[in-house]
Amino acid sequence: MQAYAITRFFNHLFGPAAAALLHLAGVHPADPAMPISNTYSLELLSFLILLAIFVLVRITLSVESPGAVQHLAEMIHEFSGSHADQIIGHGYERFQAFVTCVFLFVLLNNLIGLLPPFDLTPTSRPAVPLAIALCTFIYYNFYGFKEQGIVGYVKHFMGPVWWLAPLLFPIEVISHCARIMSLTIRLYANMLASDLITLVAFSIFPFLLPVAGLGLHAAVSLIQAYVFMLLAMIYLTGAVSHDEATAEMA
Amino acid sequence: MKKLQYVFMTLAVLFCAVPVFAQSGGSAAISLVPIGVGLGMGLAAGLCGLGQGRATASATEALARNPGARAGIMLFLVLGLAFIESLTLFTFVMLLINK
Repeated sequence: MQAYAITRFFNHLFGPAAAALLHLAGVHPADPAMPISNTYSLELLSFLILLAIFVLVRITLSVESPGAVQHLAEMIHEFSGSHADQIIGHGYERFQAFVTCVFLFVLLNNLIGLLPPFDLTPTSRPAVPLAIALCTFIYYNFYGFKEQGIVGYVKHFMGPVWWLAPLLFPIEVISHCARIMSLTIRLYANMLASDLITLVAFSIFPFLLPVAGLGLHAAVSLIQAYVFMLLAMIYLTGAVSHDEATAEMA
Repeated sequence: MKKLQYVFMTLAVLFCAVPVFAQSGGSAAISLVPIGVGLGMGLAAGLCGLGQGRATASATEALARNPGARAGIMLFLVLGLAFIESLTLFTFVMLLINK
């Protein structure tokens, strides 16, 4: 695959360091001269874009005359905040930063493939959604242990009836681990499928018809980022809440 | 008009049937993989379509009865649709792996 200019740039900057790090982990990159792949450089690019937006919002923050960027940030904040309030309920503010970042990162990674210079959606490679899903998994389990204590959280896997615990415990553990798989495959397969649909549209008639595929891709990107955020919230609720009723919902 | 319709329908069928004539007679081994992929994906997509249709129908009904509960209904609708859809996508990934 042709390396993008941005990939070459990142490789020029961090190539040797990344190669050393990969060597330390025992991973051999496909192209030793370019240890940073296109996928990863696009991820890095969307990370930098998000960082720039956050810094810009922080610098131009003002009560009297809010700028356009601040309006956008407030909209996103309100959007994720209202959903977090609805799902997690009381004390959702602690988790809002994480779920908003997940939402924005997934959204940007889904949409960056639509930009003309790039022909690749980072989230259509299974490694990218897997990383985000793993972060979510670790995050919600960490808060589960923190909120309920080690004993309380493990007991939470046992179910309400004590004599069913030997049966329920393995099932619950497996179902929690399967969440990583389902989060990963949902995002990856959606993005791959919508990429393929665009390709098929190109092969049928390469003028104006692919626009429908691209539009579908944009819509699917939005919905999948939204669903990823909702699921992260629901898993958090299941881990953090003390009563069984809300834990059942997840 | 009716006759013309029949002519066009016959023509359409004939156009579709052209690849059949083009096939050579004694091909050795027929690959069943495309058939399996088509059947599997078709089954998964069709059944998920049924499920999503039921979910959407109930959500629309609920929305018509109680427009005030829009936010909650939409939330669970989107979640449910995502869960149902992911089953089709699991099939898709399976087919992609085993292709």
